[in-house]
Amino acid sequence: MLAKLENNRIERIWLLAKIDFKKRYYDHGLGILWALINPLFKLAVYYFVFTHIMTSRVPSFALYLFSGLITWLFFAQGTKKGINLLKNKKYLIESIQFEQLDLFVAATLSVFYAFLFKLAAYFVIHFAYLIPIQPYMLYMPILILNTFVLVLGVSILLATINIYIRDIEHAWDMVTLAGFWLTPIIYPKEALLEKFYILAYINPMAGIVINFRETVLYGRPPLYELFFYDIAYAIVVLVVGVFLYKKYAHKAVEKL
Amino acid sequence: MDTKKPKQASQTKPSIPEGQVSRVQDWSDKEVVIRLKDINKTFFIREKGADSLRDKVFGLFSSNGKKEIKAVEDFNLEVRKGEFLGIIGRNGCGKSTLLKIIMGAIRPDKGGEVTTYGRMMRLSLGMGFDAKLTARENVYINASILGLTIKEVDEKFDEIIEFAELQNFIDTPVKFYSRGMKSRLGFATAVHADADIFLMDEFFGGVGDVNFKKKSEDIFAKSFIEGRTIIHVSHNMGSIRQHCDRVVLMEKGTIHKIGTPDEVIPVYKDLMGQKNAKSKKRGKNQQGKKSKGQESARKKPANKK
Repeated sequence: MLAKLENNRIERIWLLAKIDFKKRYYDHGLGILWALINPLFKLAVYYFVFTHIMTSRVPSFALYLFSGLITWLFFAQGTKKGINLLKNKKYLIESIQFEQLDLFVAATLSVFYAFLFKLAAYFVIHFAYLIPIQPYMLYMPILILNTFVLVLGVSILLATINIYIRDIEHAWDMVTLAGFWLTPIIYPKEALLEKFYILAYINPMAGIVINFRETVLYGRPPLYELFFYDIAYAIVVLVVGVFLYKKYAHKAVEKL
Repeated sequence: MDTKKPKQASQTKPSIPEGQVSRVQDWSDKEVVIRLKDINKTFFIREKGADSLRDKVFGLFSSNGKKEIKAVEDFNLEVRKGEFLGIIGRNGCGKSTLLKIIMGAIRPDKGGEVTTYGRMMRLSLGMGFDAKLTARENVYINASILGLTIKEVDEKFDEIIEFAELQNFIDTPVKFYSRGMKSRLGFATAVHADADIFLMDEFFGGVGDVNFKKKSEDIFAKSFIEGRTIIHVSHNMGSIRQHCDRVVLMEKGTIHKIGTPDEVIPVYKDLMGQKNAKSKKRGKNQQGKKSKGQESARKKPANKK
């Protein structure tokens, strides 16, 4: 009986993710194009402001900006979805018995699809700029996986806390806003690292975004300290999140 | 010696009226699929707002606005495989909460133990659907979560839709469905679902027109119940009498009486009658229609003459 559940587990997660992804974009006019239009629009605005209104001396600025933007969006959208997941899926949890953590994986996957979409657009621009492929790009999958694990862990952790302290939803909105500016998306990494290196310890996305660019855009080795630190960070968050979930999330149906 | 027959004490069966399934058996050698031990559940109902930091901080200093409600108290029960158990009781006696506890959606207070064997599904009105998704998507999701592979759902999908008579609305979001349509879809999905234990929370299978009602009843009586353990919370005494092996009458969160339908239903009616005692001054006899029928039967000849 339980073996059967395990058999279809991967399929189930994939199905949940697929339908969730469809649900996000399907009904809304242009549909999935919005996954692309939105960040491209942001890119255009930031680009304009930071090249013509305030000059930025970052090489390949459009790519620099876009790569940081889409990685950040993966994190921001993923965690936003995750924090309310139990509330939104309450109808399932109270009717059928199943491993609820799968919902989180599916939700993160769903946002991941959107990220892949944007990543493809990034590479279109990347190769249009005739930037070559080089070996350090191999770090990219690890960085992406790192982000995935981080998003998953944060989602689970926050969702569990959200059951008891509903302020978390709003507090997280603010954290995300601050995070965007405390991650070198728009400004060069030196601006952050030289004076406020400690922020890179608090905000794991800083390291991930920096290393993404170093390896993919500039063909340089990543900043190894941050690279390993962020991997460890994500794993710790996931472990803590799952632990708290197993211990406290049973009150979800009651309280949400 | 018939070695094939299991060791069931075949008791002398009382005369069974037409239509009622004979279910007087000795259950003791069937395995227990649900065991509830020392179940208590206390809810703290807050008076205003959501859980927040503010409440937590200020709540430390004053016990304000939190009512303690004991929904379930000292509940002990064992349900056997294949049993059809009914749960009846007045509104607010804890039936729904109990089902959620069995389901695992809510945990009982400390000291309570819930043990279940087998996959469970809880059916309730408006059951398990995301209104923004289409019927197709909902069925696939629910079935997938129950453990069916997409292939298996593919096979059953047409059956389900045909049963629910929703062929033209498969790809319409459920939010556009009428209440009857939602009910039919829910019932159709449940009937084809692959769970071992069903918890039916005032779930009316038989909405819709006469044909659908009959279809539902047929499928329910024949294939649905077969081999499955069912706990049915209902206010419909006819259905309880017809299907249930045992009935539990709940009152104020605890078992008031447990036994066969014939034993328990009169106690329930008694309890309900006491509630209405002031508004209707009827005779002590709570046999319901029978006594009324007898009375009027007695009166009629007198009037005619």
